[in-house]
Amino acid sequence: MKKIFALGFLALSAVTARAEYQQVNLTVFGMDCAPCAHAIHVSMKGIQGVNTVDVDLNTGLVSIKLTPGNSAAMRQFNEAVEKNGFTHKDANIIVRGQLSGSAQSPFLDVSGTKDRYALTPLTAGTDISGLVGKMVLIDGVLPKSVKGKVSDTLRYKSVTEAK
Amino acid sequence: MKYGMVLGCAVLVTSTAFAADHGPVFSYATPVNSERELSFDTGIFGRYGSQGTQLSTGSGFGYGVTPHLTVNAFLPASFGSGNLPESRIVSGSEWSAGASWRFLHSVTSVGKRIESTASLGLVVPGPQQETGVLGSLHRAPGVAGTLVTGLASRSQYVWVGAGYTRFAEAANDRRPDTLSWSAVYGYRPSRLRRGYDQWDYRGFAELTGEHTGAVRSDGVILPDSSSTTVWLGPSVLAIFKNIAIEGGVQGPLFRDVSEPVYGRERIRFAINFSYLKYSSHTSSH
Repeated sequence: MKKIFALGFLALSAVTARAEYQQVNLTVFGMDCAPCAHAIHVSMKGIQGVNTVDVDLNTGLVSIKLTPGNSAAMRQFNEAVEKNGFTHKDANIIVRGQLSGSAQSPFLDVSGTKDRYALTPLTAGTDISGLVGKMVLIDGVLPKSVKGKVSDTLRYKSVTEAK
Repeated sequence: MKYGMVLGCAVLVTSTAFAADHGPVFSYATPVNSERELSFDTGIFGRYGSQGTQLSTGSGFGYGVTPHLTVNAFLPASFGSGNLPESRIVSGSEWSAGASWRFLHSVTSVGKRIESTASLGLVVPGPQQETGVLGSLHRAPGVAGTLVTGLASRSQYVWVGAGYTRFAEAANDRRPDTLSWSAVYGYRPSRLRRGYDQWDYRGFAELTGEHTGAVRSDGVILPDSSSTTVWLGPSVLAIFKNIAIEGGVQGPLFRDVSEPVYGRERIRFAINFSYLKYSSHTSSH
């Protein structure tokens, strides 16, 4: 009986597993003083689903952790930087989403947002063919894009099946 | 005692815009507000001379329309009269409204920016000196423009800027056109380059100068009414998240001023408080 409940719970978890950003790390250019960092902190905290924001003025690193079940989109993080008059380098992200396309041309869909990325490996030799069609967790780098745009390519460091 | 009370009330009740929120207190600087950021400045500026002390104060407000365009307004007040020359770089006697546009903004590395900002505004006569050459003039509005360029980083700040104000004529009187300029160097020692949730300090050396043209009264140019002065002094800025307190003092490096007309200005000092209200608004996706 316990096994049936456990199986049922796991099946339900798989159905309700959400695509979402879990962590976003940005190196922001141009912050020279406390109000700059405070402005970024306030803007990031204003994004629904953001849990914690850490800003390091000396390295420019802004680390954002998100709550489970959030529907924040990457464009919102970029806007939070740009509206304060700053720019940022590539973003390191941990994101969960649906792997679609094919092994040769994979895509990641972050459902709940309009974000969809073409996936390319950061280092050659990573085989993700067995994960197509599954919910995956990706640790990757989103290259810097022009102002107001989000890169449509995500370079992944690791792809694992999402639990 | 009287001035002490006035100063205290002024700091509590009103504000000034001579310091553009969190920057040098006397000099021109490039920063503008973030998009939807509201800034508020309050403080007092003093000019002490042989014919008395002149205190200026007022309220400065700024709003960031875009990350590079800020609209601002300044509501002045002044106390006492030193019969001193016109000054725009530390104005406290004009209502003003205008906009600042950061037209150059190069942000290519961590903690560093190179930028240039132009400002244009309308100035309208506010409190008038009680005595002296400028105390009896009919006054008219004017137009003020400034241009500033510089670098801001975690360790060093450099800004140079200049401003020009031209007043219209009123009943055959005209206040002097004013050319102002400034150069400022700021430094934050390495042990003060701390986290943003701690007090952030930096020190500045501020060099400012001003040339005021001749005063015209009843259609006649008053002799010896133009002036040129250059001032130098230190200032300190302390910031905690979104509040800033800054203060500084300057002494004269160069004076070409008629003492019978304006007296001898000896010291300038300023204290300013800034509050910055950032917007948490972000678009939905």
